[in-house]
Amino acid sequence: MASSGAAVGSGTPVTLKELRPPSPLFADGASLRILGKLQEYSVETTIAMIVDGDASLKIDTQHLRDLSFRVGSMYQFIGELQIQPDNEAVLRARVGRNVDGLDLNLYYQSLQLVRQFQAERARFQST
Amino acid sequence: MDKSLSLVHVKLLAFDLLSLAQSPPDTPTFSRDGVSLSRAEVLGVVVYREHKPGRFLKFAVDDGTGCVPCILWLNHATSPYFARQRPQGVRLIADVANGQASLLKLGAVARVRGRITSYRGAVQITASSVAVERDPNAEVLHWLDCLKLARRVYDRP
Repeated sequence: MASSGAAVGSGTPVTLKELRPPSPLFADGASLRILGKLQEYSVETTIAMIVDGDASLKIDTQHLRDLSFRVGSMYQFIGELQIQPDNEAVLRARVGRNVDGLDLNLYYQSLQLVRQFQAERARFQST
Repeated sequence: MDKSLSLVHVKLLAFDLLSLAQSPPDTPTFSRDGVSLSRAEVLGVVVYREHKPGRFLKFAVDDGTGCVPCILWLNHATSPYFARQRPQGVRLIADVANGQASLLKLGAVARVRGRITSYRGAVQITASSVAVERDPNAEVLHWLDCLKLARRVYDRP
């Protein structure tokens, strides 16, 4: 039987506001899922800048095909974080999608509930 | 109340599905807190795909809590199982499966239903149906469904 065991790491959902030192997710190589409004996009460098309030993050989109970038639209990216020598972070995106229409309040509140549930299950399974 | 859930597709978050116990080993029986399960529904972003036309599509969906490996069989023309069935019906099933495989692009949000199976000790889903979700809120609503069902139905009282 063929395996469907793809060794792909899950991108941990994190808000741009949470993604700063000393968060353990602010680490070179961390697999993350992030969400933000597209502020800038350069066709030459394929670097996008997304923002959430006063927090922002650069996204390297060179591996993304079939995704059109519209400034002002909401996007979600999954990829690995790279911390550059000047301590600036760039997410090397593996996948991305436009999420215009996403209810952001519902998303962030639900994310908290999912985290609580994961913690509850971890406590239950350790007893 | 009988808590057998083996005939329904249980909606599970990836981390929950991937931690199911297989009992006894090498059987298609899985359990969560002692409750037997055999089918599941997951929803997440397609982050991996490997297509072998006429054989299978391997893919993985990431729901933010884990990455679920899935396999969609496309071997209807060569499988001995399908050789015993009516060719017209097999062609129809093959067309549906190939159509679903073509929709599963990297970055798409997919709802996958199927049997819980394992390969080399790792839990996976052998897909029986796959749908691509267009609603940007579909994944959040799936999270909330999973939480509600786990607490009200799946968890041991």
